[in-house]
Amino acid sequence: MSKTAKADSTKGGLPFEDALKKLEGVVEAMESGELPLETLLAKYEEGARLVKICQDKLAEAELKIQLLEKTAAGEMKLKPLDLAEE
Amino acid sequence: MSKTSKSQWDFGELFPPSPGSFGATSPPEQARRVLSVSELTEQVRALLEKHIGSIWVTGEVTNLRAQSSGHIYFTLKDSAAQLNCVLFSREKVTHRELLADGQKVLLQGDVTVYEARGQYQLIVRAVELQGVGALQIAFEKLKQKLALEGLFAPERKRPLPKYPQRIGLVTSPTGAAIRDVLHVVRRRNPGLEIILAPCRVQGDGAAEEIAEAIRLLNEFQSTVHSPQPATRTVVATADSGLWPLDLILVTRGGGSLEDLWAFNEEVVARAIFESALPVVSAVGHEIDFTIADFVADVRAATPSAAAEIITEGVFASRQLVESLVRRMAQAHPRRRLDELHQRLDDLQTDLLRCGKQGIRDQFITCNNLASRLRQVRPKQLLQQRRELLKVTEHRLRELAHVRLKDLKNHLAVAESRLQLLGPEQVLSRGYSITMDAASGKVLRYAATVKAGQKLKTRLKSGEILSRAEK
Repeated sequence: MSKTAKADSTKGGLPFEDALKKLEGVVEAMESGELPLETLLAKYEEGARLVKICQDKLAEAELKIQLLEKTAAGEMKLKPLDLAEE
Repeated sequence: MSKTSKSQWDFGELFPPSPGSFGATSPPEQARRVLSVSELTEQVRALLEKHIGSIWVTGEVTNLRAQSSGHIYFTLKDSAAQLNCVLFSREKVTHRELLADGQKVLLQGDVTVYEARGQYQLIVRAVELQGVGALQIAFEKLKQKLALEGLFAPERKRPLPKYPQRIGLVTSPTGAAIRDVLHVVRRRNPGLEIILAPCRVQGDGAAEEIAEAIRLLNEFQSTVHSPQPATRTVVATADSGLWPLDLILVTRGGGSLEDLWAFNEEVVARAIFESALPVVSAVGHEIDFTIADFVADVRAATPSAAAEIITEGVFASRQLVESLVRRMAQAHPRRRLDELHQRLDDLQTDLLRCGKQGIRDQFITCNNLASRLRQVRPKQLLQQRRELLKVTEHRLRELAHVRLKDLKNHLAVAESRLQLLGPEQVLSRGYSITMDAASGKVLRYAATVKAGQKLKTRLKSGEILSRAEK
């Protein structure tokens, strides 16, 4: 319904939600204890890769606030806004 | 009319010359004319009634006193002035009950003078709601109108992206709302990027600014989202990537209905309705519902609640990822290897034990057989028989011995009985036995003895050899 809902999938690589879902599947499979060791190793590698993808997407970052203004010429301008934390 | 006197009492056109009015009749020669208080007051009253008369006036009710007579006295004030008002009981006024201290009202009435006190006052004829009451009516009317147009239709509510990374924020840069929002966002998803479209959130023109801010963010969105980067008109700062916005948050903190009013205006409702980006509205507190809330795709109770909704996906996912990482560490192949190693060790131990067990079993079987074999050996049997023989022999001896003893006893008894019966006893009493010495025949009759016959006499002890003389 929303065209913006797809926005997060456009930012490079595996969409976060897919990565998360895959990671859940991988961990569940690993936990089942039924995997042969070779498969388990492969799953672990895959899981580690997915964890990195997820963590990258969730990376803690400094909150960034920018001010959007329209100049007299009708040009839009973003400028960093520093709001002191209480 | 005097052209010469220009003073603060010169009311100009307000006091046109008329017969009986002091200004006009005052003679040029400054003749003194004295009025009684009543006359003056009467003139003032006439002037006020004539030149001001019936008017509409707005202000805030204060110092309200409802007398037992049914008349209501109060003062209407604004920031700079006050007006005494009377509402007589005979006046049929709608909204009479809404006259209350602090209430903003629109009054219709006649300005007159209460001569007894020399006060001018308003005789109230009608009361109309101003402020909250009027706003409430306006709110309901607009709500109904927009509802009919379908602005609130549930089917046009758009879901919010679950993991918004960049949001547009429409609020005052100095208000409480932005502080609340940033506080929550810092805690739950500091990675969120916020583009603030600043606006005033209360007062005249605030509604237009809010609407403009929403439109500006949409415009920004369309330019950064444009398929041809060359057409972009945004001048980005060095570190700002040009990815699009995920949603817009329109918010302000709590306040009175008047404070929040901008969010009840149609221009804001239209801007939200037309926004290509999903809009979250969070105005005031839980109990405050605004038109903006109804039009928005999502209504949050407070600015903080809105920030929580927006950050929920990332916040929950971060926790999920953390738990998955923990679970993955638990299911790490190394652990599995360790387990397998341990299992291997266990199996090895089991195997050894089983081997030993086998040997021991056979050993035991062998021992059993050997012992059984020993038990059936002829030597053993022979020994047993020997034993038996020995025992039997022993018993036989025993028996013989006993028997011999018995016989001996028997013999002794018989002997003593024999002795009792034998000659010994007689001899010991002094009797003697005489026998023929040659034959040993016992002599019982003297007649049988011949002279010269050799006799042998046995005494108790010893024997005597003698010869018969006669």
